[in-house]
Amino acid sequence: MIELPLKSPPPPLSPVTFDVARPTVTELSNGLKVIVFENQRLPLVNVRLGFFSGDVHDPNGHTGLTSAMASLLGEGTENYSSRQFAAKIERLGASIGSSSSDDFTTLSGSSLSLYLNELLELLAEMLLRPSFPEDELDLYRRNTVDHLKFQRSQPPFLANEQASRLIYGNHPYSVVSPTPADIESIGREHLVKLHRERLVPNNAILLVVGDVETRDLIPEIEERFGQWQPRPIPDHVATEPVPAAGRTLAIVDRPGSAQSNILLGNLAIRRTDPDYFRLLVMNQVLGAGASSRVFMNLREEKGYTYGAYTRINARLLAGDLEATAEVRNDVTGDSLREFYYELERIRTDRVGDDELNDAKNFLTGVFPIRVETQEGLTGMLFNQYLYGLDEDYLQTYREKIAAVTSDDVLEAARKYVRPDEMAMVIVGDAEAVRPQAAGFAEHIEIFDTDGSKIG
Amino acid sequence: MSHSFRLPPLEIQEHTLENGLRVVLNKDNAIPVVSIAVYYNVGSRNERDDRTGFAHLFEHMMFQGSENVPKAGHFQYVMKAGGTMNGTTSSERTNYYETLPADQLPLGLWLESDRMRSLAVTQENLDNQREAVKEEKRLRYDNQPYGQIFDLINEMIYKNFANSHSTIGSMEHLDAASVDDIRDFFRVYYAPNNAVISISGAFDPAEALALVDRYFGDIPAQPVPPVIDVSEPSEVALNYREWHDPLAPFPAFLIGWKIPARRTPEFYALYLAGKILYDGDSSRLYQKLVKGDESVIQLFGFTDERRGPSSIFVGAIPKPERDLSQIREVIMDEIHDLAAHGPTAEEMEKIENQLINDAVRMRQSSMTRAQAIAEFALYDGDAHLINTELEELLAVTAEQIRYAVGTYLNTENRALLDVVPAGRG
Repeated sequence: MIELPLKSPPPPLSPVTFDVARPTVTELSNGLKVIVFENQRLPLVNVRLGFFSGDVHDPNGHTGLTSAMASLLGEGTENYSSRQFAAKIERLGASIGSSSSDDFTTLSGSSLSLYLNELLELLAEMLLRPSFPEDELDLYRRNTVDHLKFQRSQPPFLANEQASRLIYGNHPYSVVSPTPADIESIGREHLVKLHRERLVPNNAILLVVGDVETRDLIPEIEERFGQWQPRPIPDHVATEPVPAAGRTLAIVDRPGSAQSNILLGNLAIRRTDPDYFRLLVMNQVLGAGASSRVFMNLREEKGYTYGAYTRINARLLAGDLEATAEVRNDVTGDSLREFYYELERIRTDRVGDDELNDAKNFLTGVFPIRVETQEGLTGMLFNQYLYGLDEDYLQTYREKIAAVTSDDVLEAARKYVRPDEMAMVIVGDAEAVRPQAAGFAEHIEIFDTDGSKIG
Repeated sequence: MSHSFRLPPLEIQEHTLENGLRVVLNKDNAIPVVSIAVYYNVGSRNERDDRTGFAHLFEHMMFQGSENVPKAGHFQYVMKAGGTMNGTTSSERTNYYETLPADQLPLGLWLESDRMRSLAVTQENLDNQREAVKEEKRLRYDNQPYGQIFDLINEMIYKNFANSHSTIGSMEHLDAASVDDIRDFFRVYYAPNNAVISISGAFDPAEALALVDRYFGDIPAQPVPPVIDVSEPSEVALNYREWHDPLAPFPAFLIGWKIPARRTPEFYALYLAGKILYDGDSSRLYQKLVKGDESVIQLFGFTDERRGPSSIFVGAIPKPERDLSQIREVIMDEIHDLAAHGPTAEEMEKIENQLINDAVRMRQSSMTRAQAIAEFALYDGDAHLINTELEELLAVTAEQIRYAVGTYLNTENRALLDVVPAGRG
């Protein structure tokens, strides 16, 4: 045998420091906050417009309206048909998109920096001059109704639908999708009104990241977005979701399913909660990655699944903690038992120093990897400003992770991992799953894939 | 080219260790991270006909420990150093990669070298990973609507077993795999002379080369693996098949054509033809089918790039009650038009800008660069191709696209897979 030079992992080389610069923030006279991050490394640019209105602000009785409005912005404007608009963008090699999430509405564009002005022009066109043509709305309605049907063939959607209902109760986050009837009822006048009321400069941020000169860019932005008129925006009333009283199991019956999709979840924190970093580290120990506890247990030791994870879903108004895995039918009950074992263990036993440091080192170490691409950096900056995080959020991110202690992790686990009130959702063959899962729940409901309760 | 756009070339150094390991270094200090990609010249194309899925099962075994790294230690070492990692298997190759903070380059090299030198194979680990792979197969293929259609159409396009069988393999073959099979496979294919290691990011090239030599230099070379034949007749194996999918909510179809190998002028021309036909909202088929006729819910297409005969696909999920044959006629009409008249000047301008945009964008990430460079080094023996590929693509003319579409797509020599929903109601 060869004598090996090194039997143990080598020490690192000398560390290389990495600092993220701060962007410049300018407010236009109409209230639009413009954030510019110069990055001349490659001739690229990313632009995002974010609005503090999302799906949760859909007017009463119009679930899906914000999403429809966002989706239709580029499908016909005062100056271009949908087809002409798509051709204009793609001839630049650029891409433009618009969509809504629970809390926000976003327009995004990226291109070679030599086309920055054309990109801004096209974003301004779809933002300020959409025409919402009847034929495009009609196509949107029909495609969306088909899409709603299609997503019912996807187990993750079905699991998320039931989990959100159980976790969020009467809170708007409990609704993850409009119904076909919601979509059918969307009229052009609703889109025009919502666009006029919500997509206003005093409700928005504009972020530009890339190969730009701020002093040249601001006048270009002024020219295209300066005349955009502010108007008062309706107050958004935020309600608090109410924690569940006990364990409810919802089974979505998918006869013949080769696997069970398991989703366990309970309420946790808002994105701005001071406990965010503690919970982030706790989640890294528990289940965020391939070296976390639930993955090591359910996949590496037991071979029940291809992947088992936990995640924190911290949004603007509320948030939750979820554990998920897709397991073969006959180990559904065994998988639940192992999940609950890990969920209890992190609440009772203090995490050891090595495991804590491993989790923290991962979170601080991947930070430069996450901002290596312009898209990655843009995403982080955009979230910072949308969620209203500290001005030095990216500069102090790693310090805040490093400061988390084992006491913090234990406290976060006791506060936010609550196995006794977790919603339990299983998408799979009900006949196979029910006997295995029944012992874990106080109350069982069975649904079909259409979302109707059948037992 | 209407633009005088020139990308500065990536800095590339190529070396070969005495044991045959090819080393490619791409220094770029913009962000203090480093990516390592190890590419082994083995994929599903090398599998025996009674061991389908083996190359991929083996990939899982590479995370199960080696002489100095415990089971699952690879994940843990990389993650606690603040890195990310994974491995993937295709018909062509198996790759392993990690991105780390720049100062952790030695760790990444040590981990990769330890498993290239001394993979630990136990019956227990094999049984456990066999189960994980079966769950992966259930998750991605068996339990997904339309999850099996690409494996099915490959069997229709290719006649040669090396090309036609699936990478995920069959449950029976996975069950049959033994510890001895794993050991043989390791010895034959996981030798330094059958691999490329590519490093991209912030590092000193002389120091990196010294580290590679230290960790990999004494791993013995092995006899060259058996040569495989991936040649194909030009005819597809099967023109038509109907597939009853119990999970599909709607009917769907997929058309596949057999086309020349990657990096041939014909492949490049067809890759660009694909952009014109199905890429983006301004593409011809999106405008015809999603917009104009409003007949499909979803349209998709892509090229499968291989060293041997390759393929191109167009698929659609039509709206309920739509006549599938009419939709296919629209697709073939558009192909016929492209074969007759070629792309328009606007389409050529779009392609040019998209190619430049894609080339600049892929250079941002050290991992994307390391992988692209490793592929050129492994498949073509020349990592510097990363610096000339854009120009090769930009040099493709409208006439070449017209001709390639006429020769390879405008033909009855294609495979058509019809998906029929076979669930309840």
